[in-house]
Amino acid sequence: MAVTHESCAGMGGIRGAGDLVFRMELQGYKINDAKKYVAEKLHCPVSYLADCAEMKDLREDLNIGTTQVRPNAGIGMQTKFRIAEILDIPINSVEKFKKEAGI
Amino acid sequence: MDKILTRYGDNYIAELTPEEIRADIEDGTADAADRAQIPPLSKDEMDYLYEIITCPQKIVSVVPGKEVVVSFDAGTLKLSVRNGIPLDRLQAILTQERALASDSIELCHVDYSYKPIKPIISEERQAMEQAQLLTTLPVLYGAMPNMGLYTKPDGPCENWAELLPAGKIPEARAAQEEAIEHAIRDIVFVASGMIESGADGINFDTVGASGDADVKASLEAVRILKAKYPTTGFEVGMAGEFNLGMHGQLAFDDEIIAGLYPHQQVKMAERAGVSIFGMAINTNSSMSLAWNLARVVTFAKATVAVAEIPVHANVGMGVGGVPLSIIPSADAVSRVDKALIEIGGVDGL
Amino acid sequence: MSKETYIKEAIESIIEYNEGKALDVMNRAVADGCDPVEILSEGFSAGIREVGDLFGKGRVFLPELMLAAEVMQKISSIVDKEVAAKGDATEKKGTMILATVQGDVHDIGKGIVASLIKTQGIEIVDLGRDVSVDDIIAAAEKYDADIIGTSALLTTTLGEQKKLEEILREKGLRDKYKTILGGAPATQRWADRIGADAYAEDAAEGVNKVLALLAK
Repeated sequence: MAVTHESCAGMGGIRGAGDLVFRMELQGYKINDAKKYVAEKLHCPVSYLADCAEMKDLREDLNIGTTQVRPNAGIGMQTKFRIAEILDIPINSVEKFKKEAGI
Repeated sequence: MDKILTRYGDNYIAELTPEEIRADIEDGTADAADRAQIPPLSKDEMDYLYEIITCPQKIVSVVPGKEVVVSFDAGTLKLSVRNGIPLDRLQAILTQERALASDSIELCHVDYSYKPIKPIISEERQAMEQAQLLTTLPVLYGAMPNMGLYTKPDGPCENWAELLPAGKIPEARAAQEEAIEHAIRDIVFVASGMIESGADGINFDTVGASGDADVKASLEAVRILKAKYPTTGFEVGMAGEFNLGMHGQLAFDDEIIAGLYPHQQVKMAERAGVSIFGMAINTNSSMSLAWNLARVVTFAKATVAVAEIPVHANVGMGVGGVPLSIIPSADAVSRVDKALIEIGGVDGL
Repeated sequence: MSKETYIKEAIESIIEYNEGKALDVMNRAVADGCDPVEILSEGFSAGIREVGDLFGKGRVFLPELMLAAEVMQKISSIVDKEVAAKGDATEKKGTMILATVQGDVHDIGKGIVASLIKTQGIEIVDLGRDVSVDDIIAAAEKYDADIIGTSALLTTTLGEQKKLEEILREKGLRDKYKTILGGAPATQRWADRIGADAYAEDAAEGVNKVLALLAK
């Protein structure tokens, strides 16, 4: 059922910008405001956010992780450092990592 | 007359005439409007819903640009436990992120209630810390408030489900009030630990399953947690289309909790500090997809219209118009999604 | 005072969960020569159905529903005594076994069904939750039941209702009992498919269906 929801209606997670838009909803933004905020921060049209072609290029350029894991590509915590900076929001695990690592 | 292939709420095929489908749409929206005292769908909206339901394609989808984000309850229970795939939770989370393209995921324990997490909080925190190192998508921690676990023999309080039928109403109410305090303490303890370990948010699932006391405990806990962790997100998903009054007199900020419908539940949730509200409208397994979906969309539209926070429609099995079956048909599920987003205006699923 | 006025007041007394008013209405109606069975069925029973409907819409809560059921039960026992004192043949009431099936621990709905059916003077043997088919049948035999009612809230436990029908048939007991089922995943189509005698969507419908089964 998760596959049906994602194919018919979802933003595609890290294939698109679903993870980023969700982060803004967690901050209380409604869907259109969340999309607008993310698009502004990524300097792209809102229509790119669920488009896997445009978002693959953008995510690779910004090094914020895609579904394919390649050498030197951003993954896990590393991508969240970048996302926190790009979206200009605190990410809890990033803050914790910095604290634990003495950064 | 040609019949249209559609579904009943129990997932079985229904062959209905166009007139029967239109009549079900009208009855469904009227039922929701009457129950919650909200506006029914307009004629244009009913016509569009008819188009969605009778679309000859097997699967339908939202118009590009209308996509929404998807959140999960029972997140890491789905692949590893319910599907029986031998994956540990971290593998399940990475599968959701990389193979299933999920927008977020929830880490949870197989005993999906806050109370039993207390003695294993260290193990749960470690799982969250490890998940956070390896993931890009938001990882929430979640469980149910499950107030029933505080009644004897599982807990310290008298069992109100036994006291009420015996006519011991003051005693039943007192037992619920006592259980609320235990639940708030446990939820705050568990959620605090998980936030300290990097959780992107806390999910409260099936809130109100044990009645209005369950709602009270959850919202009070959110209020405490939001004050303690102001940048953390809190998602609260409800158990049903109105708050069941097991106590009947409990209030949150002087407003009686029992009997509130989603468009009222969401305002109470906002006051508590909830970030994402999950509305849950039960699917009636006897009725058609048209009837169920018209009802659900009517509730959704009224809820979204007043909400200042994002509203996610619960579209798990047996909820939100999705058929009540462990294998709901994709044709029905895709129509539910399209109608809820394009007519109901929900912010997520 | 007319019979219609007593019926109206009887309905009100149940909706207001007002035991004093209910007893007063019944006493006055009987003193005025009204048939207590008629006041019960057209007045008090209509009231409890309305309370059930309001509960289903979230406008009345469980404590009030229980209070209304308690008042109704007291009125039913008064009517029974009146009828017995007159030596009239009473309507067949019967005994019903009620259980949430094995593997399922959800019993809030079943408790409401039990409370409302009791108000009709039907004896309920509530076996609780997580009850095996064998225990359900054993109880039906022990209490010489007329009806077996089962509840299943989960799609995974719904199969127990089918199992009950199969084992009743295997044991040659199927015609001895009427069966009725409910629970969120259950439907009339499911009842027809497995051969149950009735399906009820909610507690109020359950009362009507049980009365209809007993009248057969």
